[in-house]
Amino acid sequence: MTKLLEARDLVRRYSMRTGAFGRAIEVRAVDGLSLTLEAGRTLGLVGESGCGKSTTGRLVLGLEAPDEGAVHVEGSPMPPAGSLAWRRLRARMQMVFQDPLGALDRRLTIGTQVEEPLIIHGRPAGSERITALLLEAGLRADHAQRYPHELSGGQRQRAVLARALATAPDLLVCDEPISALDVSIQAQVMNLLMEIQARRGMAMLFISHDLRAVRQVSHRVAVMYLGRIVEEGAPDDVLHAPAHPYARALVSAIPHPGRRGQRILLSGDPPNPADRPSGCAFHPRCVDAFARCRVEAPALRPRTDGRLVACHLAHAAELEKVA
Amino acid sequence: MSLIRIRNLTVSFDGQAALRGIDLDVAPGEVLGLVGESGCGKSVTWLAALGLLPAKARITGSVHLNDTELLGASATTLERVRGGRVAMIFQDPASSLNPVHRVGKQITEALTLHQGLRGGAARAEARRLLDAVGMPDATRRLDAYPHELSGGQNQRVMIAIALAGQPEVLVADEPTTALDVTIQAQILDLLQGLRRDLKMALVLITHDLGVVSDVCERVAVMYAGRIVEEAPAERLFAAPVHPYTQGLLGALPPIEGERRPLTAIPGGVPEPSAMPPGCAFAPRCPQVRMECAIAPPPLTRTSAVQRAACVLARDALVAA
Repeated sequence: MTKLLEARDLVRRYSMRTGAFGRAIEVRAVDGLSLTLEAGRTLGLVGESGCGKSTTGRLVLGLEAPDEGAVHVEGSPMPPAGSLAWRRLRARMQMVFQDPLGALDRRLTIGTQVEEPLIIHGRPAGSERITALLLEAGLRADHAQRYPHELSGGQRQRAVLARALATAPDLLVCDEPISALDVSIQAQVMNLLMEIQARRGMAMLFISHDLRAVRQVSHRVAVMYLGRIVEEGAPDDVLHAPAHPYARALVSAIPHPGRRGQRILLSGDPPNPADRPSGCAFHPRCVDAFARCRVEAPALRPRTDGRLVACHLAHAAELEKVA
Repeated sequence: MSLIRIRNLTVSFDGQAALRGIDLDVAPGEVLGLVGESGCGKSVTWLAALGLLPAKARITGSVHLNDTELLGASATTLERVRGGRVAMIFQDPASSLNPVHRVGKQITEALTLHQGLRGGAARAEARRLLDAVGMPDATRRLDAYPHELSGGQNQRVMIAIALAGQPEVLVADEPTTALDVTIQAQILDLLQGLRRDLKMALVLITHDLGVVSDVCERVAVMYAGRIVEEAPAERLFAAPVHPYTQGLLGALPPIEGERRPLTAIPGGVPEPSAMPPGCAFAPRCPQVRMECAIAPPPLTRTSAVQRAACVLARDALVAA
């Protein structure tokens, strides 16, 4: 497997003020996160709102610079945002957002918008190229003359996808690409993403809060909690035998036909990143937390089965099994 | 005996039909799920029933709450019903609450309106309600403003306000859609617990079939302003009759087993201005026939507990 992109120990801090005269508080949106994207494969990133998954997507694309750590693309460090080298790299790394209407310009036709990246990056453009891209994204050739408001939500997301595919990217970062769509349209877009990946072999970072969708499209899954990855492994391993207590609760909370009443209820709300608990950030909500969890943050370490888990207990349990 | 009886309810806005004849019953104490995609009319049904639609909406049909007709009822009748006998909560709790009033005040306001409680008695009852909806540290939270609470906590406040009128039916319109998965689990658990303890009926409006299967006893599936299938939850998931219901279930990514392409429903919902003369689902239906284009199929009983608006339902009946 070839490594397309590698992120090591990324930290992204924001400063937040409470009220007009409040003290600036440091918020660690991403707090020591490492991930690897392999060519032609999909990494699914799941977590609840505020866990830093969208910030991670922006860091991976170089849209934001990390405060610590570094992103390497094919072995070389990410050039600074705005530089010529970065612009050239951006043609190979594209993004799809949650809200397609917000991502499209309402005053330009779909065709113009799909053609734009081709012109910017000096690739061959023209109506034939546009038609091919629209067809690949499951639209019709005549959609090129339409404006965003004339399309349905699903069609708009297809237009965004056609535009993202224009420069034949090696990496597609999809940030909640299906959350704003209806169930039947979600399935269409997920199928489309997988078809395109099978045909073009690009890598994907699929960011979502929906574990079912992530399982459907991903080769690997990483579960995030408060700026860190707490568990990473093959989708079926993580879904069927989650090792981290947070992943366990998240999996059990998926409402699914035929799975009634086996939910693990977490008490309380996801913590505020501005007020990060000491030790393991999950310990105040964890039923299995013990003294060590309050003082020492567990590192993300591989288990013998290859899965990465950041939990004192999950590793201790494995040691016991071996002994 | 049904608590709520909706018969042939239609709603149109500026000549475009949003609801095209709904028949629905809610029995006392039952949990009814109303599923469908955006624009199918699942929310409009209840807004129309409670007289909450803008004046330009044209409404026909009838909605009975026990013996009271709600459509065209006087403002005083409706005010007694709304928040009293039928309460409603919405998707986005932060925009349903008043941002400049403390949540305690908003709960006591409902208690004054519906139970005539004032002063210390109202405050004590508000505290009890906040406790009942699982708000941690209820006494202190009475003095909090909505922006000081999280999304899940605000939804708990909304539920407390809804309970203030001691309703016989709680209509929850996408109550967990704006919430995170683990918080969604908490709120669904709370709603189920309250329903059991207070013996009220619960109508859950949602687009998420998973949520429905978790909570509901009976389910009605809506498509383009009509109910297309109605059955007990277990029956609906085990043996859906309408191709739209089958499509919705097929579009749901499985949580186990082999991963294969989802059976997505092709195309999209027809625009209200371009509704086909026959079955509204026919243009997307994999099992479409000639007769589907002629007239919309009526809701046909396929068993004692299941009804579907599809020509296939009639065949199932003949076969059985």
